Amino acid sequence: MSNSSVYPTPINAFKQSKRSVLSVIVDNEPGILARIVGLFSGRGYNIEALNVTVVDVESNLSRITIETLGEERVINQIIAQLEKLVPVHSATNLANLKESYEAEICLVKIEFDNEDQDHKILNFADIYRTRTVQKRQHLVVYEISGTSERINKFLDDLTTISGIKVELVRSGPIGLGI
Amino acid sequence: MSTNQEITGAEIILQALKDQEVDTIFGYPGGAVLPIYDSIFGQNFLKHVLVRQEAGAVHAAEGYARSSGKVGVLLVTSGPGVTNVVTGLTDALMDSIPVICISGQVPSHLIGTDAFQECDTTGITRPCTKHNYLVKDINKLSETIHEAFEIARSGRPGPVLIDVPKDVQFAKAKYIPKSEVIFKPHRIKSGSSEIDAQFIEKLLEHIQQSKKPVFYVGGGCLNSGPQASHELMKLVQKTNIPVTTTLHGLGCYPGEDPKSLAMLGMHGTYEANLAMNECDLMINIGARFDDRVTGRLDAFSPNSIKFHFDIDQSSINKNVKVDYHTNTDITLSLKAINDHIERRGVNFDQKQFDQWWSQIEEWRGKNSLFYEQGDEVIKPQHAINRLYELTIQKDTFITTEVGQHQMWAAQYYKFSKPNRWITSGGLGTMGFGMPAAIGAQMANPEALVIDIAGEASFLMNIQEIATAVQYKLPIKIFILNNEYMGMVRQWQELLHGSRYSESYVDALPDFKKLAESFNAVGVRAKNLSELDDAINEMISVDRPVIADIWVDKKENCFPMIPSGAAHNEMLLSKYDKEKPENQEKGKVLV
Repeated sequence: MSNSSVYPTPINAFKQSKRSVLSVIVDNEPGILARIVGLFSGRGYNIEALNVTVVDVESNLSRITIETLGEERVINQIIAQLEKLVPVHSATNLANLKESYEAEICLVKIEFDNEDQDHKILNFADIYRTRTVQKRQHLVVYEISGTSERINKFLDDLTTISGIKVELVRSGPIGLGI
Repeated sequence: MSTNQEITGAEIILQALKDQEVDTIFGYPGGAVLPIYDSIFGQNFLKHVLVRQEAGAVHAAEGYARSSGKVGVLLVTSGPGVTNVVTGLTDALMDSIPVICISGQVPSHLIGTDAFQECDTTGITRPCTKHNYLVKDINKLSETIHEAFEIARSGRPGPVLIDVPKDVQFAKAKYIPKSEVIFKPHRIKSGSSEIDAQFIEKLLEHIQQSKKPVFYVGGGCLNSGPQASHELMKLVQKTNIPVTTTLHGLGCYPGEDPKSLAMLGMHGTYEANLAMNECDLMINIGARFDDRVTGRLDAFSPNSIKFHFDIDQSSINKNVKVDYHTNTDITLSLKAINDHIERRGVNFDQKQFDQWWSQIEEWRGKNSLFYEQGDEVIKPQHAINRLYELTIQKDTFITTEVGQHQMWAAQYYKFSKPNRWITSGGLGTMGFGMPAAIGAQMANPEALVIDIAGEASFLMNIQEIATAVQYKLPIKIFILNNEYMGMVRQWQELLHGSRYSESYVDALPDFKKLAESFNAVGVRAKNLSELDDAINEMISVDRPVIADIWVDKKENCFPMIPSGAAHNEMLLSKYDKEKPENQEKGKVLV
């Protein structure tokens, strides 16, 4: 960790930090998102990505997916703290399940100037099997989905093309145990 | 009562409180709760105690809850009414005290408009309550209140707030009694009711193999109910294992019993801390490995197998990694262990821990709570000691403020029963003790209730003396007056080169005259010869009393494990000086 910031880095905070994806089933009621976000900020945990949607209208349940960083001990503590919240039914670390799948969706808007760039962009789009949402002269919008890692790689590859302008939005990962 | 008749929200609240067997409510009226106050007027099941500031209401509710085992209830208005209780709610959350706070809110249609006395109550109190509600639909009010009570008292207890907009207090609906509400189990978090047989087997196995075991008992034992203490005593007598308690665990095991090592932690006894440091088996019953208890974590009881009883899953492995744990209620678990021992005829070798006990006796021989009482100036420790000796025959409830006096009270006042000791541990809230005494006296009208106070803390909620006088609550405020924020001064002496920055409490009132101006009784002891008389007078008067006890201004609280030090690095007296390198490390901690 570089320590050029004026803010001290907490000792051991990132020791053996692991990316974890937590899947939380909650009663869909006012304030639930604030409770969860408040728990993370109040106790100094990280939220890398967050996704919330109602998944069962009849029972009024939402599924919240949270990507977080921390040692295993910290992740277990986060889960225990989440499960203490009254509207929370369950909190699961997807990594602890025998089988689970993850997906993320990303929209990428790319502005370019010349044909060379266009070719290179098309090439990557083809390799990653993106969906073309919009294509105009000097502008293309792709939709790419899959694991976060896959999207990261696509975005990394785009950075090898010089002179293009990229704007993007990502949903954050969602996941499901099978 | 279940009728088809529709009643107002305010009436529903009263009906629900009656249904929940609430007999006392602490509160302060204001615009957004007037309909509820209108319902309180002219009924007779609920006694309302008018405090002088809302902070007093919440601490009184805490004192009521701690001393009775019931849920404490308070009623405050919107805006400043509710922001004034934020400290107390946080206090109740930290110390796991069941409290219900009902707050008024501006009418629904004004929410979000920055209306007069509007604030985002649920937003502000979300991190300082176990749960909170904004009730926008009158049809959900009854159920919400019943669920709130259930949440407040189950599992690890805590404060729950219900915010009720004024229009909902006027709106009408049918009341749904408690008996008709079906609680959703995932929302109640009551802990497991199943006995973990494997845990018990393992524990007994380890006890029989152990050479140096210790029970480390905390507030969870208290919250589990008096039966838990009873089962604990049985288990201790059978196994001959020493017991140390946390600040909140005091009273869960009789303080005068020879198997008690008294309190552990930052100001715990030498024998308790050394036993924790050197034990090979630690049995944690409802304690949470708080930093005041553990000292430096990497040196905390390095060689022990650790068992942890805690109803709160998130307490397990939070600060200290344990080897075995159970989330079952402590009373159930301890009873199951005792039953198991009886049923299987498990015998404990009474000589097994002889060596351990002789080691402990050697530590005890250090007499770490020793103090030198001269002829003239009252030592604060001695004042508590005399208070204890002169009240030992009575069923006494002690509350405290926060600071040196609190630690001396914990060290020198011995409790033989649970629920007699009411103090602010986790949050360390100055100004807690007097309103808490009011609550304890409301719950125990016949008992002797004493707030052991420091003059600085006492000044923080001094207005509540009027409450005590109004309701003829004969609480006693026993002030150890040293004219300093003593604990601040002590830390400045130990860690900041005796630079007493702003810790001298100048311009103190004359507490005797102050008492008289409130129509309470004032007594004073300026030196040793006046101490016993002052205490006896304080106890004998059947009115609120402020006892101003002038104590040694420079006395420090020992033993002490400085922040960042380990259990075996205790300072035993003023002659022990901390290593300079530890001072630097300790300075940045709390």
